[in-house]
Amino acid sequence: MIRTENLTKVYRMGEVEVQALRDVNLEIQDGEFIAIIGPSGSGKSTLLNMIGCLDKPTSGAVLIDDINTGKLSENELAEIRREKIGFIFQQFNLIHTLNALENVALPIFFAGVRREKRLKRAEEQLVKVGLEDRIYHKPSEMSGGEQQRVAIARALSNDPEIVIGDEPTGNVDTEAGNAIMDILEGLNREGRTIIVVTHDADIAARAGRTKRMRDGKVLD
Amino acid sequence: MKDAFLLVYRNIKERKTRSILTMLGIVVGIAAVIAIMSISYGMQESITEQLSEMADIIMVTPGSVELGSFGDFGSLNERDLKDVERIQGVKEAAAMIGEIEEVEYRGEMFMMQIIGIDPRDMDAVFGETVKLEEDSGSETGASGRELRENDHKVCEIGYSIARDYFDDEIGVNDRLTINGSKFRVVGVLEKQGGFRSGVDSQIYVTKRDAVNILDTADISTIFVRVRDIGEAEEIAAEIEERIDDNHKLDDFTSAMAMGGAIEDLESIFGILQVFLLAIASISLIVASLGIMNTTLMSVMERTHEIGVMKAIGAKNRNILFLFLMEAGLVSVVGGVLGCIVGIVAAKAISFGIVAIFGVEIAAIVRPEVLLGGIAVAVLVGILSGLYPARKASKMSPVEAVRYE
Repeated sequence: MIRTENLTKVYRMGEVEVQALRDVNLEIQDGEFIAIIGPSGSGKSTLLNMIGCLDKPTSGAVLIDDINTGKLSENELAEIRREKIGFIFQQFNLIHTLNALENVALPIFFAGVRREKRLKRAEEQLVKVGLEDRIYHKPSEMSGGEQQRVAIARALSNDPEIVIGDEPTGNVDTEAGNAIMDILEGLNREGRTIIVVTHDADIAARAGRTKRMRDGKVLD
Repeated sequence: MKDAFLLVYRNIKERKTRSILTMLGIVVGIAAVIAIMSISYGMQESITEQLSEMADIIMVTPGSVELGSFGDFGSLNERDLKDVERIQGVKEAAAMIGEIEEVEYRGEMFMMQIIGIDPRDMDAVFGETVKLEEDSGSETGASGRELRENDHKVCEIGYSIARDYFDDEIGVNDRLTINGSKFRVVGVLEKQGGFRSGVDSQIYVTKRDAVNILDTADISTIFVRVRDIGEAEEIAAEIEERIDDNHKLDDFTSAMAMGGAIEDLESIFGILQVFLLAIASISLIVASLGIMNTTLMSVMERTHEIGVMKAIGAKNRNILFLFLMEAGLVSVVGGVLGCIVGIVAAKAISFGIVAIFGVEIAAIVRPEVLLGGIAVAVLVGILSGLYPARKASKMSPVEAVRYE
């Protein structure tokens, strides 16, 4: 279970302080599929970064399985990101010098798994997202939808409980977006917690629960 | 490890020109060190090889060494020679009479150093090292013969005198005029060069002839060979004491043990070597700055990528390792190439020295120097990569991901 307690994040942009999150209290159950919607600047991405252990709160806390992530060291946070969380970005963010297989294998590499086992696991993930014929393709040789599926395979490579998507369909066409949502639904059926930020109402409608954000607050 | 290597290799390849330029810095630095080391080992060996044949020699000359030995410091005499021969530990002592005289050959005239010596003492002075020139045409395989005890008005000449001084080459049985007297050449000596290049322009006659034509019986140098090189310094001191006593003067003579000179020369050489290495190291420092700069740029350019890697679970040390490896790889390859270039350069320099100065100096490439060179390259690479790599590893994942 993921829980935020009075989660507040303040950024400093030069002289100006920006309140990205204000006292956010949110509970996400294991196995839930939740969509967070809201206009840009509402704090959706910041909330995802907090839950995804990419950033630390200014005050309040994020608890994942009752562990307060604010109290963990950088290394421990990296381990949570590696083992428990799979992150999918709007811009795919694949490493462009590596092919699909190597990109997917990268998180497993950071986990220190032996090469043969690592490549086998990476290949399985690519098959799972339907890219068995794109294994040795570089990102530049694939369509946006395909790249995003590689990114999903990468997010899944260490078998995480939580999959986080920051506008995962924001950079692909509708058809590819639907394919991506199909995959995410499938992952949810496997029992994984799915958290997606979007401003596409059709996408949000496919989630089990929708939360709306505005001005750094979660609306009821 | 293989994937890390691949990742790093592709990043390097992507910035080929920059990586090659950075690498060149290391190549030049390491090559300079290798070439300098190899040539100086070669010099050292050629010097010690030439000198070690003289290690058991003590050279006794009038006057102190500091002021030079062929001035008007008086001269040694037969009594000095007898006394030196009687000193314990002295194997042989040979007296030489030396003067500069006019030498004429087929109408040309030069001033040459004439050395008068007992033929039986030739070996004591020259040992095994100075031989007659080879001549496959003659029965003995050598150019003429050595001086003999009963020889009258004959001489052995150095290589340069035979070949270089006069327009016409001088061969065995040719006749020279030394200070007005005709001498027949009986032997031509092999080319010496290096430390013994003096021999190449000397004319050797019997002591008896020397006394006649030079009009002096004064001994200019006594060559002493000792039985035990370890005692050379003590024997030299004793020689000085005896001869000074004979002449009732302090510091009348100087006896120099060549063994000591070798040690002096070697320590001078050591200093020279350190100095040259210090200069070569400057290029390594410059190379190190190059690596640091390239790695820093690489870190900046890949900020976004670093953020992504962190987001998908890379720990700080994973990132540190990748960038250290990048810097390390460039410098290892640079180091290996530097070794190759260094060896080639050393050989070329050695060849050049032979061609220009006629002195044989081999390029001695020692495996430990090569290994050391590569080790230094790796060390330079890792040390200069450390700061950029740490910078990369400490980046905040959110900010890095957001960076485009």
